[in-house]
Amino acid sequence: MTLGVAEDDAEAMFERGWTDGLPVVPPTPERVERMLAGTTRTPDEVVAVVPPDLAECTVEKVAINAVLAGCRPEYLPVVLAAVEAACTDAFNMHGLLATTWFSGPVVVVNGPVTHAIGMNSGVNALGPGNRANATIGRALQLVVRNVGGGRPGEVDRATLGQPGKYTFCFAEDEAGSPWEPLHVARGLEPGQSAVTLFAGEAPRGLADQLARSADDLATSFAACLRTVWGPKAVLAFDAMVVVSPEHARVFAGSGWTRTRLVEELHARLRIPGAELVRGAGGIAEGVDPAWADAEIPKFRPDGLLVVHAGGGAGLFSAIVGGWASGALGSEPVTRPVGT
Amino acid sequence: MTRVVLDPTAEATPAVRERASRPADLTGRTVGLLDISKARGDVFLDRVAERCAEAGLRVERFRKPTFTKPAPIDLRHEIATKCDVVIEALAD
Amino acid sequence: MHDIVGLEGLGIPGVMVASDQFVEAAAVQARALGADPARVFVAHPIQDRTDDEVRALADAAYDRIVAALVADTPAPGAG
Repeated sequence: MTLGVAEDDAEAMFERGWTDGLPVVPPTPERVERMLAGTTRTPDEVVAVVPPDLAECTVEKVAINAVLAGCRPEYLPVVLAAVEAACTDAFNMHGLLATTWFSGPVVVVNGPVTHAIGMNSGVNALGPGNRANATIGRALQLVVRNVGGGRPGEVDRATLGQPGKYTFCFAEDEAGSPWEPLHVARGLEPGQSAVTLFAGEAPRGLADQLARSADDLATSFAACLRTVWGPKAVLAFDAMVVVSPEHARVFAGSGWTRTRLVEELHARLRIPGAELVRGAGGIAEGVDPAWADAEIPKFRPDGLLVVHAGGGAGLFSAIVGGWASGALGSEPVTRPVGT
Repeated sequence: MTRVVLDPTAEATPAVRERASRPADLTGRTVGLLDISKARGDVFLDRVAERCAEAGLRVERFRKPTFTKPAPIDLRHEIATKCDVVIEALAD
Repeated sequence: MHDIVGLEGLGIPGVMVASDQFVEAAAVQARALGADPARVFVAHPIQDRTDDEVRALADAAYDRIVAALVADTPAPGAG
């Protein structure tokens, strides 16, 4: 496609509807060719069928959108893995896009590739400032927008949305973690690189600066997790907890594995039905009164993801609330990063 | 100087398919009611079912597992086998 | 919408009912699917209405739903 002689390159990208509202890098043939050098895959290979239009997406289309997003060629394999993961039936990008809820794809990257491409897992890991974090998440969103046709205000019906829908991608801090890496906990090999996609809303802070035992800290975490979607929602939405190094130190000090932490959180989040039924506590929202005598878990058994990231100072962690969980909505998906 | 950029979109403009041909009226037809499993849709479809029954129509009820995904292919075929027309509700 | 388009492809006339917040989303989705499925919209909101209010929405929409499923009838006197 040829731009008009009098057209400004940056403006031309906006006018064609190819951007998320921020400027993009014009995808010239030279830039796309350099981007394609970042993968061993052939340009015409179909990577995924992208919702909502169910459009076949080739490696080349991913590369074009990666150029738009500002990626370097060495990021492309991570973007390709993220696109593949997002477009699985289990992750359900279609439903995630169309929902009125806040959520969008959150990309957690693990393994050697995070160091090779200079991703941030430390200070400000969920914030701005790192090119790989920022542009990989953005490239995935631009593929959904441009190839899949999933545009805000059209099929994307979010009531409010959230800023993480521009981009939400970070690396797990594996070196400083007391636990095995997330992708290993989810069944992949330690030397492998991988992306894990989670349908998440914006992160919210979780502070506890006094807990010295894992028991106390887990109780604090559970109290905050109870409010995901609302304090009376049960078995409906998942959550990801991004545990900071200082909080992880407390759990590690008590000898808690990741599995133990998840089990202890579930144990603290079994809620008496009487507190959850419609009208209880003066809140109209709630579950059917027939559940009044039951004890109901806040999360389904696979509904809690624990990730380790963040700077070394701050007894704060983050909760990333999820979306309709499991087969009803979205299942977290882990996928190896290829070449 | 002209600058060329590559198109990041699917470049697809599908032709519009025609709707299936309609009966002149619904007399003697079986109406499928497909609940998308979004809250309140059942109340809406219960009332539609009552209205259909009052009009002397046969009603078959279906419910897909989740509103967030298209209905499983088997369910679609079951609807197509049992029904002459279908009403899907209620998206909000 | 995918369900109705799929069923129409199997020869079953269909209509989807949605709240009027989704008029535009449905039009965009229809274009993308290369189809123009029949749609009936009811007044938003849905989730916080009483059962009686939801039933009233159904009553108000019923004639339009039926009309979307049958062939257009020419007006009396029209050729």
